Amino acid sequence: MTRFLTYLRGIFGRRAVEREIDEELAFHVQQETAANIARGMSPSLARRAALASFGGVAQTAEVVRAVRATPLDALWRDLRHAVRALRAAPSFTLVALAVLTLSIGAATAIFSVVDGVLLRPLPFPDADRLVAVGELNVKTGSDWGLNLVAPQNFIDWREQQRVFTGLAAIGYASISVAPEPGREPETLSAQAVTADFFSVLGMAPLIGRTFTIENEVDGHARVAVISHRLWQRRYGGAPDVVGKYLAGQRGSFEILGVMPPSFEYPVGAARPTEVWVPSVFTPAERIRGNEFGYRLTVLGRLASGLSIAQAQAQMNQITARLAAETPRWFEDRVSLVEPLHQYVTRGIRTWMLLLLAAVGCVLLIACVNLATLMLVRLSARDRELVIRAALGASRWDLGRVLLAESLLLSLGGAALGVLVAWSGIEALRAAIPADVPRVAAIAVDLRVLLTMIAVAVVSGALFGTAPILQFSRRSVSGGLTHATRTNGASRAQRWLRGALVTAEVALAVVLLVGAALFLVSFARVMRVDLGIDARDVLTVRVQPLFRAATSTPAQQRQRSQLRNVLDRVRATPGVEAAALVNGGLPLRGDLRTIDFDIPGRSLPRGQDLDFNEISTDYFRVLRVPLVAGRFFTDADREGSEPVAMINEAAARRFFPGEDPIGRIVTFLGTRRIVGVVGSIRHDGPETDWRRQGFVPLDQSRAVVATLVVRLSRPAAEVLPPVKSAIWTEFPGLALPDVDTLSYYLNRLVAERRFNMLLLGLFGVLGTMIACVGIYGVMAYVVSLRTHEIGIRMALGAIPRAVLWSVLQRALVQIATGLVIGLTGAWLLGTLVSGFLFQIQPREPWVYIGVSAAFIVAGLGAALVPARRAARVDPLVALRQE
Amino acid sequence: MAKADLLQGTLDLLLLRILALGPNHGWGIATRIRQMSQEGLNASQGSLYPALHRLELRGDVRSEMKPSENNRRARIYTITAAGRRRLDAERRSWEHFALSIRRVLEAE
Repeated sequence: MTRFLTYLRGIFGRRAVEREIDEELAFHVQQETAANIARGMSPSLARRAALASFGGVAQTAEVVRAVRATPLDALWRDLRHAVRALRAAPSFTLVALAVLTLSIGAATAIFSVVDGVLLRPLPFPDADRLVAVGELNVKTGSDWGLNLVAPQNFIDWREQQRVFTGLAAIGYASISVAPEPGREPETLSAQAVTADFFSVLGMAPLIGRTFTIENEVDGHARVAVISHRLWQRRYGGAPDVVGKYLAGQRGSFEILGVMPPSFEYPVGAARPTEVWVPSVFTPAERIRGNEFGYRLTVLGRLASGLSIAQAQAQMNQITARLAAETPRWFEDRVSLVEPLHQYVTRGIRTWMLLLLAAVGCVLLIACVNLATLMLVRLSARDRELVIRAALGASRWDLGRVLLAESLLLSLGGAALGVLVAWSGIEALRAAIPADVPRVAAIAVDLRVLLTMIAVAVVSGALFGTAPILQFSRRSVSGGLTHATRTNGASRAQRWLRGALVTAEVALAVVLLVGAALFLVSFARVMRVDLGIDARDVLTVRVQPLFRAATSTPAQQRQRSQLRNVLDRVRATPGVEAAALVNGGLPLRGDLRTIDFDIPGRSLPRGQDLDFNEISTDYFRVLRVPLVAGRFFTDADREGSEPVAMINEAAARRFFPGEDPIGRIVTFLGTRRIVGVVGSIRHDGPETDWRRQGFVPLDQSRAVVATLVVRLSRPAAEVLPPVKSAIWTEFPGLALPDVDTLSYYLNRLVAERRFNMLLLGLFGVLGTMIACVGIYGVMAYVVSLRTHEIGIRMALGAIPRAVLWSVLQRALVQIATGLVIGLTGAWLLGTLVSGFLFQIQPREPWVYIGVSAAFIVAGLGAALVPARRAARVDPLVALRQE
Repeated sequence: MAKADLLQGTLDLLLLRILALGPNHGWGIATRIRQMSQEGLNASQGSLYPALHRLELRGDVRSEMKPSENNRRARIYTITAAGRRRLDAERRSWEHFALSIRRVLEAE
């Protein structure tokens, strides 16, 4: 019991215990002194004799303390030493903390992105049993086929397979909700799914029930399962929501059930799915005829005990059987079973790993940098450490103190870094392209925190150990006389210091080359001529219901309503020009293609052309130049001669070396070409021109269109009158796609922008940290040489020569680092070539530019200590002796 | 006569023996060892204090900071019941040891 209390006191009353030890020993000396005086000694002699008979008071206290020390005690003492040492060197501590905060902050942020998007398992029970089953065109080898399965294939698979507990298909749906008072009409994002969808993912509804296979038939399909979010948002979480009707603009859906809040598919989408309705396959889709309607994503759950390979084998058998029946349908197509996680993260894996590697590089630079600074500091603290060693601290004790210092720094940096990451994560989430899966899952959570603590400990150990090794190798006892004032660094120490700075420079150069390549790629993408002027164009998809628009008069009525909308919009202030287009809006990712023919000429089979129905001002709005002939006019109307325009790409393809104007062609009927316009990069800057043809809207059967408006005022000002113009003609129409062309363009280049910004940031960060390293080492070298420089100055050295000698030293390290770094970049170049645009990864002038930038930055960092060296006052320097 | 160095392990025995006479502080214990051995033994402070603290951690003595004769705070050590048991055991084993040595030395 007593023992235990003593022990507890040792832990909690440590400070008191230590004070008492000192007190106890002091008491002894006093008693001895008093006894000596009593024996007749003079007081001062008495005290000296007492001390002499005691031996070393300090040593004894140290030994007693060691007796009393608990392991926790030792840790605490090391930490206290570390804190004291760090506080004694505030500039070092601040720089080290800043470097660590920035690098660990960046690493935390990126790791949380990679973790959320790539590493984390999918949030479904036994998610590793989930697979995507797709079709693949072996000839083109393109993997887009995987999420595009034809309905009848799915139905056959579902009936014949025995390897999955269930197979579910997912298709696109959208439900526009009938407007409510005081609210703008909205379009809910929805999915049409087969009955097994929920059971395959292993999720049961929170309340109510989900579909059965009976619901997959027209007439029984007006049912819906809604997300927890929609339940809360639209129904206030009312428990009686089951059985209510969700009033869509094209009919109502009976709500069968509500999914739990954790359920989301696609996982972590920027715009989560809110409604699931049953898939209905049309009779046409149930025949392997001429329709190639590849439109489904298929998910399956592997039966227990079966491997992916076994599942793949059975799918191959089924596909082979079907192919024997209908060979044309399966020309070059095979089925493919892939783990769902791999399917979801497809296409972003390399990218995410690239970001992780880049931020790892920053972290490595930071570690090397701190190792350098610790080493420099260690040389400056030689005397302290030697004295400690002389007082009986073992090598292990000294190492522990240094390690405690570096761990304290790295954990402190981690704590601050996580705060930085916490605030930076929102920015990252906003900047990350919207089509990246699972963006909503990005968060700094416990998992990320634990990883970062581990990273901090490892980096702390990393940069703390190098100096310890260095120290242990030296003879401690020999140091006391040697290390005190003169140039303390041994040759090995100097070498290690130089090597570390060189390594920092090399790593930073690799990053900087990468950053430059991404920057140039982005700049080149942005400079690509799209063929249109995408600035200041507002686009609104106007998709009125055409329930009644199947008859020709109804179509005409709807077209005239669209024209009325256009007229109203044209009259709106802030609108420079406006037009309607149906077919494909550039940059939005939609297009329609049609067979193209020239009567009297035998074109090879399968010549096609994108086609668009446009109103007269379309090219004026997009600023597409006229190359030959004329634009459409109001005279090109129903009943007048059918006319068409084509773009240059189509003209080159179909009329090489000829004048297309006046030629008769066949697409959407027989038409005469009246004009040729410039080509458009319809799918974005990184794609080729597409062959396009245009016909006047008034000569078409289009009943829906997208309104494009060239603005002379901010979009926010013009949008409300434009919307009310639409609602005047089509009351309560939901407008799901209202965006500017620049928005669509930005969406296309979002990944590039994101990469460029991050790599640029990392490059700058790495360079800054490396410069801190150069500065630290040079400042230290100068402080060591102050005396020597003083002598030189006294002997008549010119300040400029002194300055140059310091810079020269820095230059050697920078140049060595550059050579190594550029070689590394050269070797790694091919890994990033897939991310680059119109630039080779080994572009010489990028290397030259990076070298120049780095030399300037590095010499800038060395210049501060160099100038200090040049200003050394010989008198002051010599007086220190 | 030169003061004999203490045999390894005998210091604990002496400390417990002296504390068995009554609570005392470190200086008092050192003085007592010198007096009782008639200046024959001298425990150096460098081993005395660590040994006392080790005994305390082992539970053979306990200590307390108390005002002493001249009104300064001193650490006063008191032997515990466990300490007395250990003293008996150590004393027996010492006597056995000393007897054995004597027998060897005095054997014809």
